[in-house]
Formats: sequence, C-alpha cells, structure tokens
Amino acid sequence: MKYRFTITFCICITIQLLLLLPLHPLKDTNAANAGGLKLFQALMCEEVVDNAPRNPTMVFSAGKEKAVCFSLFDPVTQKTVIYHNWYHRDVPSARIQLTLNPPRWSTQSSIQLRKTDIGPWRVEITDETGRLLGVLRFSVTD
Amino acid sequence: MEKLINFLLSMRWQDFIDICLNSYILFRFYVLFRGTNVFRVLIGMTVLWFFQRIATSLGLIVTSWVVQGIVAVGAIIIIVVFRNEIRRVLQAKNLKSILWGLSSKSAITPTEIIVDSVFDMAHRKCGGLIVFPGKEDLSDAVQGGIPWKGMITREMITSIFWHDNPVHDGAAIVQGDQISVVGAILPLSYRDDLPSYYGTRHRAALGLAEATDALVIVVSEERGDVLVAKGNRLREVRQKRTLEQNIQEHLGIAADKKGAVRKGGLEIGAAALLSIVFITGIWFSVSRGQDTLVSLDIPVDYANRANGTEIVSTSVKSVSLVLSGSGALVKSVTPDQVSVRLDLSTAPIGPNVFPITSDNVSLPPGILLREVTPEVVEVVIDETVKKQLPVQIDWAGKLSPELILLDVIMDPESIEVMGGKRILEKITTLYTEKVPLDNLSGRGEISAKLALNPTSLKIAPGSKDKVTIQYVIRKRE
Repeated sequence: MKYRFTITFCICITIQLLLLLPLHPLKDTNAANAGGLKLFQALMCEEVVDNAPRNPTMVFSAGKEKAVCFSLFDPVTQKTVIYHNWYHRDVPSARIQLTLNPPRWSTQSSIQLRKTDIGPWRVEITDETGRLLGVLRFSVTD
Repeated sequence: MEKLINFLLSMRWQDFIDICLNSYILFRFYVLFRGTNVFRVLIGMTVLWFFQRIATSLGLIVTSWVVQGIVAVGAIIIIVVFRNEIRRVLQAKNLKSILWGLSSKSAITPTEIIVDSVFDMAHRKCGGLIVFPGKEDLSDAVQGGIPWKGMITREMITSIFWHDNPVHDGAAIVQGDQISVVGAILPLSYRDDLPSYYGTRHRAALGLAEATDALVIVVSEERGDVLVAKGNRLREVRQKRTLEQNIQEHLGIAADKKGAVRKGGLEIGAAALLSIVFITGIWFSVSRGQDTLVSLDIPVDYANRANGTEIVSTSVKSVSLVLSGSGALVKSVTPDQVSVRLDLSTAPIGPNVFPITSDNVSLPPGILLREVTPEVVEVVIDETVKKQLPVQIDWAGKLSPELILLDVIMDPESIEVMGGKRILEKITTLYTEKVPLDNLSGRGEISAKLALNPTSLKIAPGSKDKVTIQYVIRKRE
C-alpha cells in the first residue's frame, strides 16, 4: 500500500510521455515545421499563374521553356529566407535564395530547359540554416 | 656446383620422364634396327640434324635451309625405302620383344652340319644353292619358294638337293637352325665377266649376293666345286674350315661365346648410355637452349580481401607480362597457366599501391618473368556499409504534347544498398533504368529495375531490386 501512490504516479507520467510523442515519422514536404515555418505545399509545375501552380507534372520536355518549383509556406511567423537547391543527377546545378514574409507566402524558382538538361532532377528546399524542408523529384526528357 | 644443383632443382618431374621416355624409345630403336641399313640411315639423319643446328648457329642460311629440308623429308624417305625392314621388325617380333626384349633368342645355325653336307654334296657332284640372309629383307629379291621350316640335318640338306627332288633346282634359305624355304628362285646376275663354265646356279647366287647382303653357297653340279657369293664376289672355297668361318662371320657367330656375350652386353650398355646422353643433349638444346620472349595479358587476381571490405577501384584489371624461356616451352604457355595474384589480406582501407614482382606471378616451370607493365597496381579498398537511399525514376521518351504526368506513387520509395563507405557517402539517390513514357496514358502500373552506379553497389539482402510505379497522366490545362 505504501507504494500505491508511487506506482500510480509513474503510470500517469508514462502515459503523459507517450501522448506527447508523434505517432508517425514526418515525411518530406509536410514534415518541416521549424522556427514557425511550415512548408504547406511544394510541387513542380510548368508555370505559376496568379500565385497558383498550373499543370503540375513530374516530367518536363526539353522542348519546353522552363521547369518551375512552386512552394507554399503557411504559416510564416517572421520574414525569413529559404533556398531551392536544384540538382541534376546529384550534381548541384543552381541554388536560389527566396524570401518569405508572414503570415503565408508562396514562392517559386525555375530553370531554363536545354537539351543538356535531359535526365533526372531533384529540388531540395531548405531553410536558411540548411535544414531540409522538402524534396521534389522530376525528369527532363526529349 | 651450386648452379648445377639449382638448375637440376628447377627441372620438373615431367622433364625427367620426358628424357627417360625418349631415351628408352631411342634405345629400343637401336635394339630393333641395329645392324640394318635403317639404323645407319637414322644415324646419318641425326648427323645431318646436328649439322643443320651448327649451320643455323653459324648463320649459314642456305645450308641450314637445305639440310633442314632433307631432315624434314628424311622420315618419309626412311619409311618408304626401308618399309620391308620396318615391317619385318614389327611383324616378326611380338609386342614384348618390341617394347622390352633386348634381342630375340635366335637359334644358332649349325654351320658344321651345313659345311659337312655341302662338301659331301660337292664330292658326289650334287648341285646346291643355300642362302644365308643378312639383315636385309629378301622378299623383294627372292621369288617363289615353298615354306619348309625343317630342322637342319645332313640328311635333310642332301634330300632337298637330290636330283629327283622337285625343288632341287631352287635355293634353300637358312634361318637360324631351320631351312625356312626351299625351291626359291633367285635373281640372276647379268655380269659378262664370269667364266663360261658358270651356270645358272652360279649366276643366281651372285645375283642375290649383288642385290642384298645375303651370303649364298653354290655347289657346282658339273665340277663339284664349292663357291661362296657375297656382295659382288663369287669365290671358290676349298676347305671346310674356311667355309665355316665365312658362314660364322656372316651370321655373326663368334667362336668365343663368353666373349661375345660380354661384348654384346657392353654394346647394349653403351647404347643405353648413349641414348640417355643424346636425348638429354637434345632436351637441353630444345627446352633450355633458346631464349624466346612472349607477351601475355593476364588478369589480376585480387585475393584475400578482408571481411567487411570491398575493392572500390583498381588502376588496372590486367597486366602485361613479358615471359622468356625456350622456344618450345614459351610456345606451349597458355594464359590459363599464368596467374597474377595480389594478397589484400593486410591492405588497409583506402588507396593501396602494390608493386608486382615475381612473387605475385605464378608461371609454369622453365618460364621466367622478364617484365611487368604496369609495375605497380593501385587498389582502393573501402569498408562495406549499408545505406537506405531514395529511388528516383529516370523517365525517358516523350509523352503526347497534350498530356502531363500528374502524379507518381512508387513502391518502395527507398531501397537499402551495400557498397563502399566512401562511395555511398557521395550517393544520395538511386535511379531506375530508363522508363519509357511514349506509350503511357491514363492510369497504370509498371515496374522498373534499378540502375546501380557504380556497379560495385549491391542490393542489400532482403531489399527489392525493382520498384513498382503507379502513374496518373491527364490532359494539360
């Protein structure tokens, strides 16, 4: 009887800790919520019209003008910068700095497509500290 | 002395067998063909061969070439010209006597009986013709004849040449202690310097003696003379002792039998020794005398790699070896007899440089390593680790212009691979093989294999080596 209170207390604390732990690991694009910055949406598209992506796709023809990486952050608690890091077959191709403003902000970067760009690409979205917020993968084909 | 011991130690057991076997073959040739013309021609061919070698070493081009040609066709000449002698040796003796026996135990010809019979026939003017073959085969020279194979006795000889006997005009051929053939017809001599009182029997005796190495005894029917034909000579013999000596000399029957046996043994021993010396000389001349170079490209065997490590890269996959040795040995060397092996058991992780020395190269005996290109090999060894990597589809081809690939779901999204730690540190993505877009539309599911690059990467046990791709394609806005 003298340990009853101690056992009850331990069980309560354990339950409390389990409730605080996340049930699933965070995934790429909806995972990052660092420093009040949350990547709400990220996708590759052919163009952005009125701050909205148009023709989202994972394959771009080299005959097209450009490939656009669209990213929407909500919320944005303070003015900050993010980076769109473009890689062509694991080789860094471009690092584009973009500024975000509170409370919600969408931004995009793009590359001009050439015949030499054919192959698999990825865009890593990172915050100013280099923390990975999301990865987008696409291909440039003939 | 030390050099000699080292040299003998460098010889293979096959070399000893080689020398012994060929020495024995040469010795058997001597035993089987000694005394015949074949053996004399063989000796002549051997002398020619040595002459050709000397001519070659002295740089006598035409002489060397001509002698080489003669030696080359010599084997055919021997077989064609001496086919009868060869056939006689091979047919007349059994396999044991060909392979093992020193000499066939030929029966000794009873010369005394023959001589007595011959002079008895002469006394009674009973004509006769008795042939004692030499080493040469008589089958080409002698025609007809009836096989007899009767033991030689005085009565036998007298009855064969008795004038009422149907075979008395022919010749009797003596072999060993037997009269093998009677009534044989001998070739006639066409010499015109013979006395007029010589009849057909005399001409037949001289004809065979001229054509072969046989000795022929003629007993004149008219004059009661005894004559001996040998070579191109036909001479009268008046005394029994002389005739017996002639026959014994021709047949090689020595008066001193013990001395003859000793002499025969010495002759065989000397022949055996000479065969060994001769073949040993030939062997050294052929296998060690020349210095020929050959170049081989041999793949490098990187052996004894430590567990948990892998070879990331090597500067070469094969090395070029320049080998030297005798022409015969070098020409027989094949790449699978040569190996280059590097022991990686003590090699640390990272780049390693190994010099390739003769210790790393395994060669057949008698072959020497002259040069290795390159002389060093660089091997980068890395620790083997596992890494889970995201998979990306490597799309190829073209969608219809009005279509876009809206969404893709891949299973699994990442795959665990094994490889060198340094390599995997640099790799962030695994790519599939090219996935063609050309025929895709609407929704669907396809699968694609991974294109592992570098090829040293391996799929970890339990991981899939391909991915399933569910795609959604729709019309562009």
